[in-house]
Amino acid sequence: MSELEVPGKEANVLKGHEGAVLAARFNSDGNYCLSCGKDRTIRLWNPHRGIHIKTYKSHAREVRDVHVTPDNSKLCSCGGDRQIFYWDVSTGRVIRKFRGHDGEVNAVKFNEYSSVVVSAGYDQSLRAWDCRSHSTEPIQIIDSFSDSVMSVCLTKSEIIGGSVDGTVRTFDIRIGREISDDLGQPVNCISLSNDGNCILASCLDSTLRLLDRTSGELLQEYKGHTCKSYKLDCCLTNTDAHVTGGSEDGFIYFWDLVDASVVSSFRAHSSVVTSVSYHPKDSCMITASVDGTIRVWKT
Amino acid sequence: MDLDEDDFVFFGTPIEREEEITSRKKKAVAEASGQLRTLPVWKQEVTDEEGRRRFHGAFTGGFSAGYYNTVGSKEGWAPQKFVSSRKNRAEVKQQSILNFLDEDERADLEGQSLGTSMQFDTFGFTAGELARKQAEKEQQQRPSAIPGPIPDELVLPATESIGVKLLLKMGWRHGHSIKDSRPNSLYDARREARKAFLAFSSDDAKAQLAESESVQGNLESITEQPTNDDVQSYQSTPVYVRNPKQDLYGLGFDPYKHAPEFREKKRSRMSGKRETGNRKAYSTKDNLFGFKSGNVAPGFGIGALEEFDAEDEDVYAAGFDFVDTYVQEVEEPSRLMTDSKPKLLAKETGVLPGFRVASNSDYQLERFDPPVIPKDFVPCHKFPGPLETNYRLADSPPPEVPPPEDNNLKLLIEGVATLVARCGKLYEDLSKEKNQSNPLFNFLTGGNGHDYYARKLWEERQKRTDQSRQQVDVKLSSSMRKMTAESRGKILGERPLERSIKDLSSSVASAEGIQLQFNLSDTFTEPASSSGLHEAVKPFKDDPAKQERFERFLKEKYQGGLRSTDSSGSSNMSEASRARERLDFEAAAEAIQKGQWGKESKHFSATGGMQFTSGGVEQAKGTEAEDLITKKMFPKREELQWRPAPVLCKRFDLIDPYMGKPAPAPRMRSKIDTLIFTSDSAKETKVEETIIANRDFSMLQSDVQGISQDVANKENEVEVEVENVERPVDLYKAIFSDDSDDEGETTSLNKVENPEKKIEAATTTLNRLIAGDFLESLGKELGLEVPPDLPQSTNMAKTSASQKEAANTNVGDSNILPVKNNPSSTVFSETLNHEVPHNRKIAIEGRSEKNEVIHGKLAKSVGIYMETGSTENNLDKVDLEKRVHEDSKAKTPSSRHKNWNSNSSSEDERSRKQSRRHRRRSGDSDSDSSSDHRDRYRSRSKGRKKESSREKSGSSRRHSKHHKHRSRDSPGRSRYDSDREHREAKREKRKKRD
Repeated sequence: MSELEVPGKEANVLKGHEGAVLAARFNSDGNYCLSCGKDRTIRLWNPHRGIHIKTYKSHAREVRDVHVTPDNSKLCSCGGDRQIFYWDVSTGRVIRKFRGHDGEVNAVKFNEYSSVVVSAGYDQSLRAWDCRSHSTEPIQIIDSFSDSVMSVCLTKSEIIGGSVDGTVRTFDIRIGREISDDLGQPVNCISLSNDGNCILASCLDSTLRLLDRTSGELLQEYKGHTCKSYKLDCCLTNTDAHVTGGSEDGFIYFWDLVDASVVSSFRAHSSVVTSVSYHPKDSCMITASVDGTIRVWKT
Repeated sequence: MDLDEDDFVFFGTPIEREEEITSRKKKAVAEASGQLRTLPVWKQEVTDEEGRRRFHGAFTGGFSAGYYNTVGSKEGWAPQKFVSSRKNRAEVKQQSILNFLDEDERADLEGQSLGTSMQFDTFGFTAGELARKQAEKEQQQRPSAIPGPIPDELVLPATESIGVKLLLKMGWRHGHSIKDSRPNSLYDARREARKAFLAFSSDDAKAQLAESESVQGNLESITEQPTNDDVQSYQSTPVYVRNPKQDLYGLGFDPYKHAPEFREKKRSRMSGKRETGNRKAYSTKDNLFGFKSGNVAPGFGIGALEEFDAEDEDVYAAGFDFVDTYVQEVEEPSRLMTDSKPKLLAKETGVLPGFRVASNSDYQLERFDPPVIPKDFVPCHKFPGPLETNYRLADSPPPEVPPPEDNNLKLLIEGVATLVARCGKLYEDLSKEKNQSNPLFNFLTGGNGHDYYARKLWEERQKRTDQSRQQVDVKLSSSMRKMTAESRGKILGERPLERSIKDLSSSVASAEGIQLQFNLSDTFTEPASSSGLHEAVKPFKDDPAKQERFERFLKEKYQGGLRSTDSSGSSNMSEASRARERLDFEAAAEAIQKGQWGKESKHFSATGGMQFTSGGVEQAKGTEAEDLITKKMFPKREELQWRPAPVLCKRFDLIDPYMGKPAPAPRMRSKIDTLIFTSDSAKETKVEETIIANRDFSMLQSDVQGISQDVANKENEVEVEVENVERPVDLYKAIFSDDSDDEGETTSLNKVENPEKKIEAATTTLNRLIAGDFLESLGKELGLEVPPDLPQSTNMAKTSASQKEAANTNVGDSNILPVKNNPSSTVFSETLNHEVPHNRKIAIEGRSEKNEVIHGKLAKSVGIYMETGSTENNLDKVDLEKRVHEDSKAKTPSSRHKNWNSNSSSEDERSRKQSRRHRRRSGDSDSDSSSDHRDRYRSRSKGRKKESSREKSGSSRRHSKHHKHRSRDSPGRSRYDSDREHREAKREKRKKRD
C-alpha cells in the first residue's frame, strides 16, 4: 500500500482531439485505448507507444461514451445525437445505428458476449439493443429511473445503472429483480470493483461512495476532489487497492480503498479531468480531459 | 402514418406545383435509402417514383391500377373535345393547367381579372402587373437560367403611371417631394434662383445621397430619409434604388441575418473604406450565426439541418483556451464630414440619425438612501389591546348592580360592554365621543346605568380572559422555564418551520416494504445492543420517580414486546403530561444511544443533567444529528420486481426467470380505468407514508409539533382519499354482474359479514376518538390548531362502506387473503403506538378484536377446518392453512363448503371471461392492502423470526411488497402488476386443481 504503486509518471500524451475529450477507455486487454469527444470523433490509440491508430467519424454530435468488445472486433459508441453506433473496428464502418432514445445518450456498454449493447440516456431510461438480430428496436427498456441515467455497468447477469435521481439500480436478469440503492446524491458515474462485489459511485457532492452490492451498505466515502457539475469518471485500480478519480480542477486523486485517505493527488491536466480508465492488469492509467489531451500514467 | 393521409385517390391529374413534387420525391428517396432497407419485408411499402403508395387496402382503392386509380390513360380525366387521332396520330397533345381550369380561375391565374386600365392607372399598379405578367409569359416560353417565376422585385413597371406623368407636367421631378406650393412667392423666387445657382452641385448631392442609400441596405431605405434637412432646402422623395449586389455571397444570402449589429459595423467600415481608399484586413470570424453565448465548441461546426440548442454550447469552454484569431480593429478617428451627410456621422457615433450626443446632460439618476432605521427599533409589533385585559383583571370587581328597568337600555349596555371587552378601551372612547349628544349612551359617561355597564364590562372581560388564559395556561407552564424561539413561537401560535422532519418523512416514505418491516421490528422488538449502557446513565436524577419511569421506558423500548398499559406507572398524571414525558424519554433515550453510537459519551454527560424538553434537545443535536440522519438514511435499498425481456435473457445466456409465465397484459388505456383505480392505490401509498413518517419520527426523535401536524395532515389526506374508492366497483357490478346467482351469493355474504363490519367500524371509531382526543390535548398543549373532528363520522361511514365493498369482492375472489383491516384505522393505531404508550393497548385490543372477527369471518365464509384461536400469531397459520385447504379442496370437491363451491365455480367462469377483468383487479388491490396489513402485523408480532416466516409466505408476500412501492410512483403500473400477478396466481391455482 505504498505510494509507489500508484501511477504518477506521465508516460505519453495523446493529442489529436479537437476540443474536449469526454471519455477514454482501455480495451479489455489494456493494449489499446479508445477516446471520444466533443469533436464528434472516436479515436483509437496505442497508449503505450503514444500513437494514434484510427479515427471513427460518423456521429453528428459529440460522442459521450465508447466501449469495445472483448475480442476487439466491434465498438459501440453513443452521444449527443441520441443514437448508438455499432462499429466494425477494422473497417471503421458503422454496422448499425440504434435509434430510440429520446435524449442524449450518456453511456454505453457491451455485455459479456457482446451480443447486447446497453445504453443509458438522458431520457431516464436504460435500453438494451440486440446486436445479433437486424432489429433496430430496443429489446428492453428500463424506465424506472426518475432522472437522467448517467452511467451503466454490466455483469454477467446484471445491468447496473446510476442516475442523477440519486439511485444506483441493479437489474438482475437471473431472478428478475430490481434493486435500488438510493444514495441521496446525484450519481455521475458508477464503476464495478474488479471482484464485482462493490460499486463505486461518483456523486455530485464531490464524494465517491463505495457500496457493497449484496447488502447495499455504504462501505466508504472518498472525498477531497471537486465534482459538482461535470460528469467525471471514477474507477478502482487493477488490484482494487485504490480508488481513483478525476477532479474538476485538473487533479487526479488516489484514495486508499479501506481507510479512504488520499494516497496521492497531482495535477494531471490543465482542465477538468473527464475520464479515467485503469489498465486491467498493469499499474497504468489513462486520463482524458477537457483540454483535449489524453495522458497515460505509469508508475 | 401520414403517408395514408395524403395519399388520396384522385380523379384526374392533380395540379401539382413543382415544390410539392420535389418534396415528395425527396421523401421517397430518403425512405428508400434509409429505413426501408432495414425494415422487414412485410413492413416495407411499394411506392412509385413520386413517393405515392402503390398498394392500398380495398377501401382505399386496392392496388393502384392503371394510372393511379384514375381513368386509364396518361392524361387522366381530360375534359376535351373528341378529336380523331386518326389523321394526326403523332401529334403530341399539349395539355396545360389552363385546360382544366374554370374561367374565373384562369382569369385569376393569368391576371385577366378586372382592373384599372392604363389610362386611369394613377399609381401604375396595373402597368406593373401587366409588365410582370408579360415577363412571366416570356420567361415561360424561353427558359432562362433562373427557373421558376420571376421574383416580383426584379420586374419594374415599364411605363410611368398617369399620375407620374401629370406630376411631371406640373413640374415635379423624380426624387422630389410632392408638396403644396409655398404661398410665399418671394420664397419661390428665391428658391428658383438658388436652384438655378446650385443646379450642378445639388445634382451631385443627390448622387451622393443615392449612394448612401444603397449602402444602407433595403431595410431602412425609405423610412430613414432625413425629414428636416437644412442643406437640401426642398424635400425629396427617394429615388428607389435597388441594392446593387456588391458582395460575393450567394443570391439572397444575408450573412447578417442573425446579427444585424455586424451589418452596421460593416457598413461603416465600407463607407470608411470608400472614403479613404485604404483597405484593412479584418477578421471575418465575426459570428456568422448569431449564437447566444458565443460558446460554440471549437474546431467544428454543426450540421446544416440542425439547430443550436442549449446543449451545444461548450460547457467546457471555460477551461479550454482556444486562441482567438479575431483582430480588433482600431477605430479610426472620425473624418471631417460634410454637412450633407449627417446620417453617416450619426451612424458612426452610434446615436439616432440626426442627433448628436450632448456634451453635458441635465438628466441625472436620482438616488435616495433607504430610510434610516432608528437604533431602538424592534421589528415586531406589540398589540396593546389583549394585554390590557390581563392587567385589568387585577382590579377589584365593581359591585353587582341590578340592571336598569328599561329593557332596551339593558340590552344596549350589555352589547356595548361585550364589544368593549372584545375591542378594548378604544372602542369605548370612540363611542363615547360619537354619542355624546345621544341620551341613550349616557351610561358611558357616568349617567343612567353606568354602574351596570361597569359591572357588565368587568364580567365580559373576566370571561374573555378566562378563555384566553385557558389557552395560554398550558403554554406558559411549559415555556415559563426557558423562553426559546420555539416556545415563543408556540405562544404566538406560529407554526414552526418543518425542516428536517419533512425531508425525512418523505424520503423514508419512499422506502421499501422490506425496510418498513425492518424498522417496525427495530422499534417493537429490538433486543437492544445498548441495553447495557443506559442503566448507568440517569438523565432524570433530580426526579427519582421520573427516572424510574424512564428506565422502565427504556427497558420496554429496547427489550421489545408489547407495552403494558400502566407502563408509565403514573396513572395520576394527565394525558398531556404523560405524552410530554414520553417525548422527553424518547429524546433522552435517543441522546443516550447517540452518545454511545457516535462515541460521544462526553456529549451525553454534558446533557445528562439537563431537562429533556422536546425543543431543547432538538437544538442541542444540531448538525451532527442531521449528519447522522443522512448517514442513516443513505444508502437506502429497495427491491422491486422487474421483468427482463425474454430476448435479453437469451442474449445474456440466462434462463428467463419469468419463463412460462404469461406475457404482461397491455396496460389498460381506458379513461374510466385510470379514473377509477388511481384513488385506490393512492390511498395505499398515503397510508404507508403516514406510518413510515411516524416510525421515523419516533426513532429519530424529531420535533413534536411537526409530527403531530404531519399526522393531522396525513389523516386528512387519508380521509379525503378514502372517499371514492368503492364507487367504481359498484359501477362494474352494475355493468357486469348479470349472473343472478352470483348476486345472491354476495348479498348473503354481505349479511353474514354485517356484524363483523359493525364491530370493526366500532373499533375504528373508538380508535379515532381516542386518537382525536389525544391529538387535541397534545395540540392544545403545544398551542397548535387541531383539525376539526368533523370528517370523522363521514369517514367512518365511508370506510365501512368500502369495507363492505371489499368484502364483496373478497368473497368473489378466491385468491383473496383473509385479513381485512381498515387502512385508516390501521394508520391510527400505528400512529398511536408510536406516539403514546397508553393508547397502544387500546389499539391492540381493537386489533385483536378485529382478528377474532376475521377468524370468525373466515370460518363462516370459507368454512375452514382450522383452530379458530384468537391469538395473534395465528394469522400466519391461517394463511398457510388456507392454502392447504384450497389444495385439499381441489382434490376433494365433495368436501367443499356450499358457499365456497358456488363461489369458486362462478369465479372460474368469470376468469375465463376476459371482459370481467376489472372486477378481479379491484378485488386484487384490496387483497393487497390486506396482505400489507398482515405483513406489518406479523412483523410486529413475530419480530426476529420474520426471516423464516417470510420464506413461508412465499411469493404473494413479495408481490405485495413490490406493489406497494410501485404504486407510489405510478399507480398505473401497480395496477397492471397486480393484475398480472393475480392472474399468475390464479393460473397456478388452477393448475393445482387440475
